[in-house]
Amino acid sequence: MIEASKSQFKVLLLALAALVASVTLVACGGDGGLSGSDSSEATVAEGGDPNSLTISSWPLYIDSKTIPEFQKEEGVETTYNEDVNDNNEFFGKVQSQLANGKSGGRSIMVVTDWMAKKMWDLGYLQKLDHDKLTTVFDNMIPSLRSPKFDPDREFSVPWQSGLTGLVVRSDLAPDVKSINDLFDPKYKGKVTMLAEMRDTVPLVMAADGVDVENATTDDWMAAIDKLKENVDNGQIRRFTGNDFVQDMLKGDVVAAIGWSGDTVQLETDNPNIDYVQPAEGCSLWSDNMVIPVGAPNADAAYKYMNYVYEPKNQAQITKYVNYVSPVAGTREVLLKQDPDIANNQLIFPTDEYTKDCFTQISPPGDEAEQQEVEQAFQDVITG
Amino acid sequence: MKTLRQRLVPYGLMGPGLIWLFVFFVIPMYFMGQLSLKTGSLGAGYELTWAFENYTDSISQYSDQFLRAFYYAGVASFLCLLIGYPLAYAIAFKAGRWKNLMLFAVVAPFFTTYLIRTIAWKTLLDDTSPIVSVLKFLQIVPQDGRVLATSGAVIAGLTYNFLPFMVLPLFASLERLDRRLLEAGKDLYASAAQTFWRITLPLTAPGIIAGVLLTFIPAAGDYVNVIFLGGTKQAMIGNVIQSKYLVVNDYPDAAALSFTLMAIILVALIIYIKFAGTGALMGDEEEAT
Repeated sequence: MIEASKSQFKVLLLALAALVASVTLVACGGDGGLSGSDSSEATVAEGGDPNSLTISSWPLYIDSKTIPEFQKEEGVETTYNEDVNDNNEFFGKVQSQLANGKSGGRSIMVVTDWMAKKMWDLGYLQKLDHDKLTTVFDNMIPSLRSPKFDPDREFSVPWQSGLTGLVVRSDLAPDVKSINDLFDPKYKGKVTMLAEMRDTVPLVMAADGVDVENATTDDWMAAIDKLKENVDNGQIRRFTGNDFVQDMLKGDVVAAIGWSGDTVQLETDNPNIDYVQPAEGCSLWSDNMVIPVGAPNADAAYKYMNYVYEPKNQAQITKYVNYVSPVAGTREVLLKQDPDIANNQLIFPTDEYTKDCFTQISPPGDEAEQQEVEQAFQDVITG
Repeated sequence: MKTLRQRLVPYGLMGPGLIWLFVFFVIPMYFMGQLSLKTGSLGAGYELTWAFENYTDSISQYSDQFLRAFYYAGVASFLCLLIGYPLAYAIAFKAGRWKNLMLFAVVAPFFTTYLIRTIAWKTLLDDTSPIVSVLKFLQIVPQDGRVLATSGAVIAGLTYNFLPFMVLPLFASLERLDRRLLEAGKDLYASAAQTFWRITLPLTAPGIIAGVLLTFIPAAGDYVNVIFLGGTKQAMIGNVIQSKYLVVNDYPDAAALSFTLMAIILVALIIYIKFAGTGALMGDEEEAT
């Protein structure tokens, strides 16, 4: 026994020595830092084998037929990976490759507006050649043609869009109509919000009457302070991804900030879970197809983008994913095939329905200022 | 005089392990240590500026989450020991032919993934579940209270998830225990309790030490239980590191916090082994003489 403990102790000392040694080694290290390049020098995506393509996208974001049919009709050998679960997590995974000009074999990645912009600013994306995207630009719905983050659609093509607003148990919290109603003490501990800062904070600002698209860093911080107050007093139960849906099915949560697409899919499980358009308006976002630096098969990527912008192909995807489609003419196709979907406000919202909505935004300022806001929000979440 | 071959054999045997340790532990450590002393941003690039303030700032700012992590992990390890020791004792001494089956039952939850097991607890503890109703009836949980999204739920989840790591080493040391010593104690008119406190417990101390280490260390760095079972005031240091690294992209601070966590655990470990280890040894010697 004595021997055993002594040798255990020795091992620990060795481990400690290794730790100390590794820290000391830092002294001789160079600065292998990560650095971004200027996006104005971005290359135009072109070339590669037009008959082979690798895509990184989100789980459950495409039906099972589109890819096989695309392979058959266009003759492109396609690998479709569902390896994007979260913008930040995916960024963490691919960042070091992209910083070295490599895409890890990917020619298309699907990421949300702000992440596309962040990658573009870091020089991780290539410029799109509009001459090769004729179908895309013939059919893109007008409201998505020049978003603030990419006014000329230089680097992004919308894949699907959605609304962020209120999701409510209409039987348990029928009077929740505005974001401010979430702070009503009678729902204490029964309210959740999204852990994505760009979804939650702008809606809270809008509820306080801030002009969201021109919000200052102070406006963001004020909204974050308001959230902190409501975390401290127990009003907000937690911050979630789309797992708020489970809490809501059970009634643990009666009102939340959530995504429209989730409620469409839930309608069959519980008809009492409704999407409510907040009185202040909603946040509109898109996930976009982008071509990373070092993409081996840009030409095949263009083929794919054009293919999914054909209304009949898009209709098949929309029928399955139930998000807002960026392709004009899709609704007309679906009116014949599936009128329920074609007439659903959350899948084909009218201009009237989204008149108070704003495009999803990031905090103002440079990288350091944005990081400060993000950190303040994270400190509320990980209180 | 040993032949060359004989002298090389130990190195040959240790070689793969050492290379593994070097490539996957020492080298990453080196880069992480370096990163933790840099300043800059992802966009502009990082520069080594020997920024020791990364350490001081992040430790003072997140001391709450550090303390919470050690508190949760400590309570969870203690509960594991409290539940695990009688269980391991029963399996080793009383289970007879059911021994293998019971050991299997301890390990069985591992056939499902960690994530799924934790999410399952959400259902067990939701606000309207029978378990919570019983707790409310017994006045353990206030009438308007809840279990999910509280510290209690997180500790319960940690205890559940790490229990097998406590039971298995305890079982191993109880199984190895020389039964003749227990008989000798009885022969010398020791009561059952005396036998337990003076023979069984000291001789199984290495199992307890191993069990506590195997539960405490991973529990202190865990962040999954908080995500699913915690609410807004339960974040552990693991959650802070995760958000620093994946959301805020503040890599230097994330590295500094990871290093700090590792250093604290290592120091605590050495102190623990030193005291618990010699304590167990003294008991051991007392019984032997």
